[in-house]
Amino acid sequence: MRSFLPAVAEQLFRDIQKTHQETSQIPDDLLIALKFVFGSCALQALDLVDHHSVTCLSSPSGRKAFQVIGGSGRLYTCFASCHYCPCPAFAYSVLRRNDGLLQQGLRQKRTKRLVDLYKKRPSWKHTMCTAA
Amino acid sequence: MTDILTLVFRTFTSQTDGSEELTGPPTSPATCSALLVGDAGLSRSVLLLAAVTAASEVGVRVVFFTQTRIQSLPPCLQKRKILFSYPRTMEELLQQVARLHEPTNTSPAPPSLIVVDGLEGFLCERGAGLAGFHPGEQSVQAAHLSALLCDSAAFLTRVLRSRSPGADPCRVVASFQSPGDGGRAGGEASAADPTLEVLDRYFRVRCTLDRAGSYEAAAGGLHEVWDIYLSGTGMADASDTT
Repeated sequence: MRSFLPAVAEQLFRDIQKTHQETSQIPDDLLIALKFVFGSCALQALDLVDHHSVTCLSSPSGRKAFQVIGGSGRLYTCFASCHYCPCPAFAYSVLRRNDGLLQQGLRQKRTKRLVDLYKKRPSWKHTMCTAA
Repeated sequence: MTDILTLVFRTFTSQTDGSEELTGPPTSPATCSALLVGDAGLSRSVLLLAAVTAASEVGVRVVFFTQTRIQSLPPCLQKRKILFSYPRTMEELLQQVARLHEPTNTSPAPPSLIVVDGLEGFLCERGAGLAGFHPGEQSVQAAHLSALLCDSAAFLTRVLRSRSPGADPCRVVASFQSPGDGGRAGGEASAADPTLEVLDRYFRVRCTLDRAGSYEAAAGGLHEVWDIYLSGTGMADASDTT
């Protein structure tokens, strides 16, 4: 059976982005919906957003990637349009156990997309292959 | 990607009486990435045919990654539209795919088809036979490479459409042979391979090439018979939208 959860999540992100652009706030009902869709990791993801732990890297070509500082202080690079994170949690929870719609780093990346709080770096000297 | 594969199979196979007309779903984001599984030799041939078809019939640029150097190409295949690249290791392949967004690779036109021949050769090199090998490492490598391929294709799609709004998306096709895959029927091939399960996350369509197990004699020679299965979440999503 086809899963509609990704489409639900995408619509939720659009609603949150629109509301934040209009009011500079995210109302509780949307945060509750976020937690409902993604689970308890949504709160930890938002916490990292509040601590400015997500950076958007951009290259002169226009390609983007996101770097996330994990709880251990390690830096992880996530792709802009694909679900992947080099952290151990992704390897274990998502790839091996097939748990969760998204692993936390990806939730953080998605949340950053909404609230536009990430730091933007205009030059990008990292290549994608060094993400891991 | 299924549109190009369908064109390849329609052009280069002989259809006997009673066989169905080969049709496939229209090009959509769901069908842009495809994984060929089954016989390694046939997969390589299909990938080459797909590259040639894309370059000549569809008229797009192709990048073809393979560890095995192609010894010679007929003049008709020596087209500037197909760039052959021979990374020797996983790291080299990652570097080269990661750089597809750079201006040297997008001028005069970005590639519209990315082909990777023999994923298993790139994934096995690091862990096989070494102390401390982690069984999940190959799955992680598979996820990393697959995600990079899909992200690169998504970016190149945006570039293509910024230059021509109605352009088709950039497609990705790769081949993978599980250990011990040879000789099994397509439906059960590699059913328990964790690496293949990871690859299925990123490659929305799986094209299984399966030797039918019998030979059909025809006037003038013997012909092998192969079964081709198209499956995966991409096929279901494409059907939902048609």
